[in-house]
Amino acid sequence: MDRLVVSRSFSKTYHLDRRHALWLSTVLLCCSLTAPAQKTTELGNTSVPLSTRATHLLGFARARNNSDGILSVQADSLQFQQNGKPGAQVKISSVRDVFLGSESKQVGGLPMTLGKAAAPFGGGRVVSLFAHKKYDTVSLEYVDADGGIHGAIFQLKKGQSEIVKNELMAHGVTISSHHVQSAKQGAAEVGHEDK
Amino acid sequence: MKTNKYGPFVGRVAALIAMAFALPCGLLGQTASVRSSGGSGTSATQWSVQVDQIDANNLDLSYSFQIAIYENLLVELNKTKQFQQVFRDGDRRARELPKLLVLKTTVEQYTPGSETRRAVTTVSGATKLTVRSQLFTREGKVVLERTVAGNVRFFGSNLRATHNLARNVAKTIRQSPSLGSAVAFGATQAGFRG
Repeated sequence: MDRLVVSRSFSKTYHLDRRHALWLSTVLLCCSLTAPAQKTTELGNTSVPLSTRATHLLGFARARNNSDGILSVQADSLQFQQNGKPGAQVKISSVRDVFLGSESKQVGGLPMTLGKAAAPFGGGRVVSLFAHKKYDTVSLEYVDADGGIHGAIFQLKKGQSEIVKNELMAHGVTISSHHVQSAKQGAAEVGHEDK
Repeated sequence: MKTNKYGPFVGRVAALIAMAFALPCGLLGQTASVRSSGGSGTSATQWSVQVDQIDANNLDLSYSFQIAIYENLLVELNKTKQFQQVFRDGDRRARELPKLLVLKTTVEQYTPGSETRRAVTTVSGATKLTVRSQLFTREGKVVLERTVAGNVRFFGSNLRATHNLARNVAKTIRQSPSLGSAVAFGATQAGFRG
């Protein structure tokens, strides 16, 4: 008798747990489905200014070379702001062309390089084999007030360059036909890196 | 009496010391003047230079490399202090200048490298760039023509090759013996081709 009672009570609790689990998994599934949708709408919405983390490699206004910061598209200007410093900006109307590319780089910078060099029995080389990361590059061509041509290169996380390009196009930047060629070249470069 | 006895001796010693100091100073002055007149810096600084955009010459050179070469050339030419002003391609201010040289850069050879391969093997994966640099006058006369290379073999990203290349181009222009004379004579004679 006791056994039966116990078994019923156990089965009830088991059913409750199962329901909870099912409900919880449904909620999680819904959340996971809606999150990317929200992300896509946010990126696609042109009224919200785009801002993304980027590394300025060279050439943009008065920004320091090889510096990290936020690249953002404001109302009529493209701005790069280093951490805690006033931003450098260029009018979007002065941007003549945008080129996309991709690159594979070793991570860790100089400390990592020194560490790899110091590692015994060629251990550093093995680390180098895996310690690389792919980046996107955005190269801009713009003109100053005197008509002089400038070039600037930014390094972004993989997949971000297309978003920046689309944002600039939405703001009226015309991208010439060789932009497609540039993307192919960039892919070829990365392909070479992977060999 | 004693002062009279040693007077001429002290005077001679003083004169000798004065001569000993005066002679090297005069020599130094001479060498300094020779150096300043012999250097091409004084004549070249009257001229300005305009850096044209890079001609990729139908090679598979990515645009980031072209832009990096162009920007690095502007920086490195400014550093040499050989020219009064360094202008960008398309700059309207350069049109009014009577003494303007134009630097054209054509890529002749490009070997894409790999930072990872360099880090793993050390001996392979070098990024190599070779360009033909030409300095023209307004009239289209070639003042200087050189083939310059820039590589990255061990450490650094692939774009570092463009920095090394620009530094080598600026160094070539600075060290060129023909540049000073060609510029001094108003670039009327045919330039040096190397």
